[in-house]
Amino acid sequence: MTNDSVSRMCDVWQRDSGEPPRFTPDELRRNMGKFERTIARRNLREYFAGAFVIAIFAYYTWMFPTLTLRIGCGLIIFGTIYVIYQLHRRASARPAPADLGQRSCVDFQRAELERQRDALRSVWSWYLLPFLPGMCVFLFGIFQFAMRITHAAGRQFHAGIAVTAIGLIAGCVAIVFFAVWRLNRWAANKLQAQIDELDWLTRDSA
Amino acid sequence: MERREDLYDEVVRTYGAALGRLASAYEADPDRRRDLLQDVHLAIWNSLESFDARCSLRTWVYRVGHNVATSHVIGDRRKKSLHLISIDDIDIADQRNNAEESIERGLALDRLMALIQTLKPIERQIVLLFLEGVDAAGIAEVTGLSAGNVATRIHRIKNILINRFQGGGKS
Repeated sequence: MTNDSVSRMCDVWQRDSGEPPRFTPDELRRNMGKFERTIARRNLREYFAGAFVIAIFAYYTWMFPTLTLRIGCGLIIFGTIYVIYQLHRRASARPAPADLGQRSCVDFQRAELERQRDALRSVWSWYLLPFLPGMCVFLFGIFQFAMRITHAAGRQFHAGIAVTAIGLIAGCVAIVFFAVWRLNRWAANKLQAQIDELDWLTRDSA
Repeated sequence: MERREDLYDEVVRTYGAALGRLASAYEADPDRRRDLLQDVHLAIWNSLESFDARCSLRTWVYRVGHNVATSHVIGDRRKKSLHLISIDDIDIADQRNNAEESIERGLALDRLMALIQTLKPIERQIVLLFLEGVDAAGIAEVTGLSAGNVATRIHRIKNILINRFQGGGKS
């Protein structure tokens, strides 16, 4: 009798709770347009944030008197453009692919988890590394500039103090970079655990 | 285009209610649930252009529905922080009370829905498809697991349903 009870439970579950929601093809096309506009707005926000950073460093490029500082700012601008491009490529919301019906749930879920995991694992190369050359050149430029204006003012330049100060700034940047990398690594490992679990399920079914 | 519209009509007619329940099982918040359901319908509408009848329309619709909903779960920051459980983690304790009446009044459904919402996506797919009356082979086709693996899990699901949600053992 237990199977009868389970069948009844399924019947109760399937009992219609009113008219199923229905969308007309026109509504669906409109929703598609709405979705695309949402993506466009989100992209615009990313571009604005990037444009803000670029504007600041473009101003610095124009304002700073030494070539090294200008090169540093230019490299940071290039780094920012590259990161915006990567964010757009990897993280923008996309409409569901048309082949969803051809892929089993396990395949689809695995691919989604792998995509997210890979983006997190490679965060070092596409999110942090692009800023590094600009940062290094910029900090070296500050050191050079400090030395130049100190000498121009006829005072003695304390290289040790300058190196320590720049080292402190570089250390803070390194700590932030390390924390971002570690957090992303931790999130990627959590995703990997879910992938392993799916693999185990599929292996179990083989 | 006409073929796609005809197919979509058939999907809504045959699976519309099931898709509504699917959205409820993946999203508890009513506003976000409506958005999810709309996303599912939109994805089905888009996908029907490439529907080539290599699998049944039922398999196709459930795959699209569950894939969109799974994407919703694993992409949602709020849900990422939730600890989702497996069917194997559920305690098959006997929690029957006024079983017959509660089944009839659908009271057990609320508890069942709450339980389903805590399951990992793949387990959620199996439970939902089972409740929709899809057999083990059909569930295997949708999920990509073997029929044997699905059958094992269905056995466990039946035990949970009998012991936690109704008085099957009485009769």
